[in-house]
Amino acid sequence: MPEDGKPEHRPPYTPAGQEALSQNKPSNTVRSVLPTETNDPVVTCDPQGMPREDLYEMRATQIVQTPLKIMIMYTFGRIWRVVWTDGRELPKDPEPRWYGYSVGKWVDDYTLAVETTGLDERTWIDRAGRPHSDELRVVERYHRVDRDHLDLSVTIDDPKMYTKPWVALDNLRFDLQPRDFDVREMICSPSEFAEYNKLVGDPASEKGKK
Amino acid sequence: MEKPFAIAQCSTAPRFLLALFLFSTLAHAQNTAPKSGQNQPAAAAPSAPVDYDGWGKPIPPAIKNQKPDPAPRRDITGTWDPGNGPDDGGQFLGAKALPVDGKPGHEPPFTPLGLEAYLRTKPSNGARMVPPGETNDPELLCDPQGFPREDLFQLRTTQIVQDREKTYMFYEFDRVWRVIWTDGRELPKDPEPRWYGYSVGKWVDDYTLVVDTNGTDDRTWVDHAGRPHTGDLRVRETFHRVDRDHLEWTVQIDDPKMYTQPWLAMDKFPMRLLPPDMDVREMICSRAEFDEYDKLIGNPASDPAADKVSH
Repeated sequence: MPEDGKPEHRPPYTPAGQEALSQNKPSNTVRSVLPTETNDPVVTCDPQGMPREDLYEMRATQIVQTPLKIMIMYTFGRIWRVVWTDGRELPKDPEPRWYGYSVGKWVDDYTLAVETTGLDERTWIDRAGRPHSDELRVVERYHRVDRDHLDLSVTIDDPKMYTKPWVALDNLRFDLQPRDFDVREMICSPSEFAEYNKLVGDPASEKGKK
Repeated sequence: MEKPFAIAQCSTAPRFLLALFLFSTLAHAQNTAPKSGQNQPAAAAPSAPVDYDGWGKPIPPAIKNQKPDPAPRRDITGTWDPGNGPDDGGQFLGAKALPVDGKPGHEPPFTPLGLEAYLRTKPSNGARMVPPGETNDPELLCDPQGFPREDLFQLRTTQIVQDREKTYMFYEFDRVWRVIWTDGRELPKDPEPRWYGYSVGKWVDDYTLVVDTNGTDDRTWVDHAGRPHTGDLRVRETFHRVDRDHLEWTVQIDDPKMYTQPWLAMDKFPMRLLPPDMDVREMICSRAEFDEYDKLIGNPASDPAADKVSH
């Protein structure tokens, strides 16, 4: 659901959600501000957290299953997370974490449903600055279509910010890569950002003054 | 008055910052209190501190004087914790086998170029420690630690998973993963540098995996003490599974531009196997949390209240 100004692409905000959205200043989308005016936490290399790891710079993703858990490795940030599949329930009143707490259940032989709670509300849901509260519950649905294809859907459910759940990712298709495929490195570096802003991103800096 | 951020909020943020700035003892004290999620058991007796996993489950202590089962063949899969306690891998004074503690013999064999590079690094711990505002430690900017520092600073609970072609390492600190290829490939000849380099592993016997890494980014430090490296760095890790429950982890540094000979940074560092349902805690560097910390604690001069007093 891109923030491109189309009414059908607007999540169903509550008044609190609308207010929280207005506080977030993304550097892309129709609400884009100048690079130096954004308050996107990822621009300072803070962790993306969940579900933004699924919803921004989603690239080659490695998934490994063990008897009790599934490890997911993202390209962006070289971050891993765990989905527990040992039958445990989500924690009742968890301490917030950037990547929350995830449990997964097979709903049929080819579909894994993953629920995540306990998320740090300092993160944004996506690059557009959609907000969330500590009541956010994310549902991911991994559906293996055939040997070579996997579809991922992501649903956002946060009654403080949205009047009803909404689909953020709808069957994003992944192609299985060969087993010897090495994932490239893509990690946010504050010192690289600072260098970029000095040379390119901030026209009012040294170069601009000349 | 609002409590300082790093103390007021019982989140991963204070654990992270305390672990960095207040040294390991206090950090461990924080870690011994139940914090997360459900299933919190009653508080442990003060004489028997209990550590908890990320889901709030108590981590079982090591059982003494029990002979473990034999090691499985060619398998280092598992969730591993430092064998001498969760803070044993902190390595705030630099690499465990060669800490910068002022003792003679604890300096690696620098070349003249290596010594010059070393003197340019300004660590925030150890005998060469500078005030927090003067350090040039890239890790304190939340730049990636890179390799081999991921082994040599804040080495905590580490998950290892193997498949046919590779071994995956999942570190607690910064929640970062790396891959060791065990499919027989050679290291790249002239690789583009990466923060975590390129790693290949070979089993030299049924219980010992030797891993070589090259192509690392020379902006990183070898360890928290600021030992430098160049793009010629080659790291050799040896993982030796002693028995089912114990793993020894050795790290050797070889960089002929910086050091006259290879040196041991970790020497049979002990790790112990945890139950497979242990959830690893979250510990991720956040620049925003550092800024908040500096504002409230680390840099008193930035406190507006301090300005008022001085005027």
